Amino acid sequence: MTNTYIRNATWVLDGKQYDFCLGQDSDAYCELSGICLPGIERIAAAGELEIPAVAPRVHDATGKILMPALFDMHAGIEIEGRSKRECVSRAGQAAISGGVWGMLVMPSAGFCFDNAATLDSFHDAVTQRSAAEMLTAGCISQGMQGEQQALYNTLAARGVSILSDGEKTPGSLLMLHRAMKYASEIGLTFALRGDVPALTANTCIQPGTTSYKLGLHGTPPCAEEIGIDTALRLAADAGAKVHVQTVSTAGGVDIIRRAKAAGQPVTAEVALHHLLFTHENVGDYDTTYKTLPPLRDASDCEALLEGLRDGTIDCIVTNHTPCTPFAKKQDFTSAPQGMIVLDTFLQAIYTHLIKPGKLSWADVVRTCCINPVNIATPTDLEEDVPTVAPLLLFDPESSFTVGADALPSGTLNTPFLGTQLHGRITLPLQ
Amino acid sequence: MKPRKDLLTIGDLSDEDINTILDSATAMKDIFTKSVKKVPALKGKSVLTLFYEPSTRTRSSFEVAAHRLSADVTTFTVSTSSVVKGESVHDTIDTLMSMKMDYIIVRHKNSGIPAVIARHCKAAVINAGDGAHAHPSQAFLDAFTIREKYGTVAGKRVVIIGDILHSRVARSTSTILKRLGAEVAYMGPGPLVPPQAYTGIPRFTNWDDVFEWKPDVIYLLRVQNERIDTPFFPAKDYHQAFGVTDERLRRIDDLNLSIMHPGPVNRGVELCDAAMDYRNCLVCNQVENGIAARMSILYHLTPQTQNND
Repeated sequence: MTNTYIRNATWVLDGKQYDFCLGQDSDAYCELSGICLPGIERIAAAGELEIPAVAPRVHDATGKILMPALFDMHAGIEIEGRSKRECVSRAGQAAISGGVWGMLVMPSAGFCFDNAATLDSFHDAVTQRSAAEMLTAGCISQGMQGEQQALYNTLAARGVSILSDGEKTPGSLLMLHRAMKYASEIGLTFALRGDVPALTANTCIQPGTTSYKLGLHGTPPCAEEIGIDTALRLAADAGAKVHVQTVSTAGGVDIIRRAKAAGQPVTAEVALHHLLFTHENVGDYDTTYKTLPPLRDASDCEALLEGLRDGTIDCIVTNHTPCTPFAKKQDFTSAPQGMIVLDTFLQAIYTHLIKPGKLSWADVVRTCCINPVNIATPTDLEEDVPTVAPLLLFDPESSFTVGADALPSGTLNTPFLGTQLHGRITLPLQ
Repeated sequence: MKPRKDLLTIGDLSDEDINTILDSATAMKDIFTKSVKKVPALKGKSVLTLFYEPSTRTRSSFEVAAHRLSADVTTFTVSTSSVVKGESVHDTIDTLMSMKMDYIIVRHKNSGIPAVIARHCKAAVINAGDGAHAHPSQAFLDAFTIREKYGTVAGKRVVIIGDILHSRVARSTSTILKRLGAEVAYMGPGPLVPPQAYTGIPRFTNWDDVFEWKPDVIYLLRVQNERIDTPFFPAKDYHQAFGVTDERLRRIDDLNLSIMHPGPVNRGVELCDAAMDYRNCLVCNQVENGIAARMSILYHLTPQTQNND
């Protein structure tokens, strides 16, 4: 077998052109801009790599960007009426389609990761069906009921390093506080969303002009801020690590910024849609834009972007949530929350954040490739193998209109449906 | 006006639509004064009232309006239907459309349901109140009542008082009055009156500011206890703080202002007893005009059910 060569690819972090030689040895890797490139045996400036004349496999990557594939810290993959195996298989395809090599799957009603058997059967399904890597967040409480702690040692033994009750916020602070004290001793991180259920019950939209016009009950931003503050104070007291999920408010960003400045071990994520859309996108009850937490104001989008740029927010996530077309056809109050984002993740990030200059490629590599892997994968000090992502080639000149064929998730609840996105992933991830 | 299938919100209508429906309501009201109170405009048409929420006056007003236009009226009683067994709105509508209804008059506690139904069926859908969103037929009867009293709506000042947050009446009536050239303000307990930045409507929190604003019409909303799970304000304070008390009624009388209320009235809460007998209390006119306005609405909508396909 001959080596594969990539000629003239633009390296994502320095914008310079290089030639790459992909090695046969699965352990081969090179370093470039401080990033580990798995599978790469040699790198040279464009035109300077010696390529054998005897018809090796050569990709001319002129105009294309070579970069690590993305990792998604927050994906929900369950969909009503589908078998669990199909959920796994479709989410895997969706991830590959959006340039994502792996994801952290959140617990949900059907994937209640509070015991060994559920985790084992899930990982069997992933091994058999998924094109992408899937890690799991274990439940904080048994059955995600918020009452009794799940079996943390059992979960940790099966590779769980993050705990979350999915969309639910543990109602009992006492249970959470004790869980933090216990689980932090075995190195588990708590992934929590800022929420005060008493303030957000029966609400579905940011309070403002749209909520008034449509007669919908508003979700006060202070509920998120109080929730984040509470989680951070509990964690500080218990000595636990917290990962704040789906920050959506400017106030939430400020609280995390202060906690980081004070040296607290906290990381945070923002969902892509909270960077791109506001409550005004809901328009006339468009349930595609019903999300949890709800889409906020333009000033919140700006504060979240600033948080990403200055390192307050560590990752951009998909908060991928497939919903059946019928479910989304309900009225706004009854329809489920969530969008599918995995399928077009990298293309949407490029089109709506990089191309307009809101984020740089370096920001995206940091927040979508490096940070999420570091947060989601347990550090194994004995082996000390650098965590690596597969590489992909991205063609920024290519564009396409998002139709059902571009959505392996098999549902249509994406705000990008019918719109044009730029970028095509041209090198298979494997 | 151009053929229109549904009436979901006032915002969907053109100025021409609004004026046409109001003008025809005058003609419809003339029909009442005759000994035969019925015209054959909708003879052979089927009207269904589908109320997922309790209602007395709106439902009977629509039914009387439909009868006076000679339509056949069917009442769908939700509490005894398959809806209580968990049937989705879409499936209920499919069932009802199999019965070839031409008009569906719908009320639901969730905002936006009439729009979901309208997209799903060929019958003309009339929103008879959805959540805190819209109540366009109430808006028409209110505008009609003010026009009848003053000759015009333009230039009048109307203050709407009470629970604005949960009120579809406040939203629809303020929209139609502003479209017709009136000025509208809101007044009520702080947590129940959204900021002006959200509504585009001046916001008062006390009667002194209201009187200083020089309104023509005092429009009181019902305190909707059924929509309030956790109290927004100390209930016993309401009448003294925001209601029309005897003392305020004297001031209203001195200034010759009108009083309106969409009903049903909570006596001793929004209004003192004497206010109901006040010479410029238009509450009964509103009920009567409701039938005229709803006849006009039914008359002007065009269901797409002619081919029965």
